[in-house]
Amino acid sequence: MTHATRGHEIGGWADTRKRLRNNKMAVAGFTVLCVFAILAFIHPILQATVWSDNPAVYRPVTGHDSTIDNPSGPSLTHPLGTDPLGRDVLSLMTHGLRPTFLVAIAVALSAGTIGLVVGASSAFYRGRYDRVMSHISDAVVLLPPPLMFLIASKRGLLGPFELGLLYGLFAGLGPAAIVVRSRALAIMEKPFIDAARSVGGSPRWIITHHLLPAVAPHVAVVTLGSVVGALVTQGFVEYLGIGEYRYGLGNLVYNAMSYQKVLLTGVPWSALMAGALGISLLASSFYMMSAGLRQVIDPRQTRRRV
Amino acid sequence: MKGEGSFNDWFWTMIRFVSRRALWGLVTLALLVSFAFIAVNLLLPYDFAVGLGQRSRNIERIREQLGLDRPLWVRWLDYMWHFVRGDLGESYDGYRVSSYIWSPLPTTVMIFAVGGVVAYLLGEWLGRLVAWSRSRVLTAASSTVSVLLFSAFPPWLIFLLTYFVGDRLAQLRSWAGLQPVTGTAPGGPIAVVLAVGLLVAFITGIALRGWARRNQRRALGLLAIPAGLAGFALGLVISGTWTDAVDQMLWPSALTAMLALILIAFGESMLVMRAGVSAEMAEDYVLTARAKALPERLIRDGHVAPNAVLPTLSRLFTSVPYLISGLVIIELSSGTYALGSLFFYAIESGNVPIIIGIIAIVGVIGLVLRIALDIVQAIIDPRIIRADGEPS
Repeated sequence: MTHATRGHEIGGWADTRKRLRNNKMAVAGFTVLCVFAILAFIHPILQATVWSDNPAVYRPVTGHDSTIDNPSGPSLTHPLGTDPLGRDVLSLMTHGLRPTFLVAIAVALSAGTIGLVVGASSAFYRGRYDRVMSHISDAVVLLPPPLMFLIASKRGLLGPFELGLLYGLFAGLGPAAIVVRSRALAIMEKPFIDAARSVGGSPRWIITHHLLPAVAPHVAVVTLGSVVGALVTQGFVEYLGIGEYRYGLGNLVYNAMSYQKVLLTGVPWSALMAGALGISLLASSFYMMSAGLRQVIDPRQTRRRV
Repeated sequence: MKGEGSFNDWFWTMIRFVSRRALWGLVTLALLVSFAFIAVNLLLPYDFAVGLGQRSRNIERIREQLGLDRPLWVRWLDYMWHFVRGDLGESYDGYRVSSYIWSPLPTTVMIFAVGGVVAYLLGEWLGRLVAWSRSRVLTAASSTVSVLLFSAFPPWLIFLLTYFVGDRLAQLRSWAGLQPVTGTAPGGPIAVVLAVGLLVAFITGIALRGWARRNQRRALGLLAIPAGLAGFALGLVISGTWTDAVDQMLWPSALTAMLALILIAFGESMLVMRAGVSAEMAEDYVLTARAKALPERLIRDGHVAPNAVLPTLSRLFTSVPYLISGLVIIELSSGTYALGSLFFYAIESGNVPIIIGIIAIVGVIGLVLRIALDIVQAIIDPRIIRADGEPS
């Protein structure tokens, strides 16, 4: 009996995964994300190998190349050029990607978990608990996580990971919980839930084996979408210089803009673009995965074609 | 359904529905302000001394003066007691929070209203065209552009706008025969009139269009939104405030912020509209309409598009708080003096009451627009009103 149960599970992911592979947007997003993940880990490796002849030039914050005119465009020694202070942009960018990734991971973790727990439990238990949680979600949805992120970053006590957890708390209690709840309510009406109950399925079994797999893709859509806002906000916090972490992609943009004004150099396009496009492309990879996943799970897309 | 039940019944159902929504909105607002109060106080506990420029030995005394030595829940009760009477309290430096917020609010609301409405209309139009063309190239290009713009880093976008079209934007003012700007930002009552009038004209237009299509009045449906906007413009001309309104909109920094908001926001509504239209195109009624040899334009605008509009609208309206917080970031990057600068000043100086006041105002705007959306949906499709008056 225990082995036969597998056939009765509703695997939301099983066929979603198959269709995801055919969705161009999701694949493109995942590819971009992989490229950035490699870039984020490549800094110490490059420092130890390619840049080991002259590590001082490529040090992310204090490095300086005095042999060329700065800022410079892409060259063999500096693949992404140098910024107005003569620092290697590739080194700054790969170094600055780390806090950005930390924020993304933290937001995805907390928004996903909180959304799943709150949404699924209120759909499962209904009643007064559900009504209270729905009201809370309705209120939190009006409380924009980016503003809370900006406020929390002021004290300088919270690092990127904690700030991401905080962003995810608001995104999870608000939009994620609302989406999960409405999907889970629809699932709870399905006959297989009654069937599971009548053969003695415990609440825990029903939640973990029927409810969660069915709502998982939906919570992933919202969670990935909220990472987009978190990354842009994180970049902006670095740009303003109010966060604890001072060597992010946002700083790269800010420094390029302000040193250009002070030193009256030309516009340091490579430094500007590395920072700004780094933030945008990484954020857009999450958006593309979210949008692709949404297309895949939208029942209207899977109907017959004319 | 047409002819089913009298207008009177419908009217009273709507009144009941609207009042229930308003009541629900007040509860939500109270919850929102409570969360904001507690969260902001926990995140920025004693930073007020920074804003006042005080030394640490004075801090205890000032805490007592400001009543910050009381426990958090007592302060919360006190704040809520003032809030329910429409009072946002006093900032730490002794001024009314409302007077702080009222002066920059019109600018933000104007940029938000103009930018939001233009972004929506642009997105709806482009999404419809792209989906109808069935062109793979156009679909891929529109996806790429809207995804890149949606996740663009605002300071970078503003930089590009100023670098490439900044001079042109400044020229627009002289072409319109306006004086060069003197202050830092537009504002004042005319901005509020512009924003609220535009939003009301737009929402009325949308509701009228939906109602007209439901009741088979196709000409009215096609003309509803253009007529609403034109009527509003005519109202401005007749009341003699047209020049003032144009002056407000062509303020260089505000115009840059507006353009950035449009660029960031339109992609989302285009993607939703495109997905909606291409899903609807597979329906049987499209085949029927084609079989009747109706013109393609009529099938697209009269049959398919209306069914894809509601999801697009609801996506736009539910993302209003996010749009406004994005606008805060945009304003700060473009150097427009508005709510964004006030918010940043309040964070920098740890002036908690101002921060809570701004969050409350953003919440009120979001809430009002959401209730407006619910009402519009109920007018377009009365089936969504359940027996208990909650939208399903």
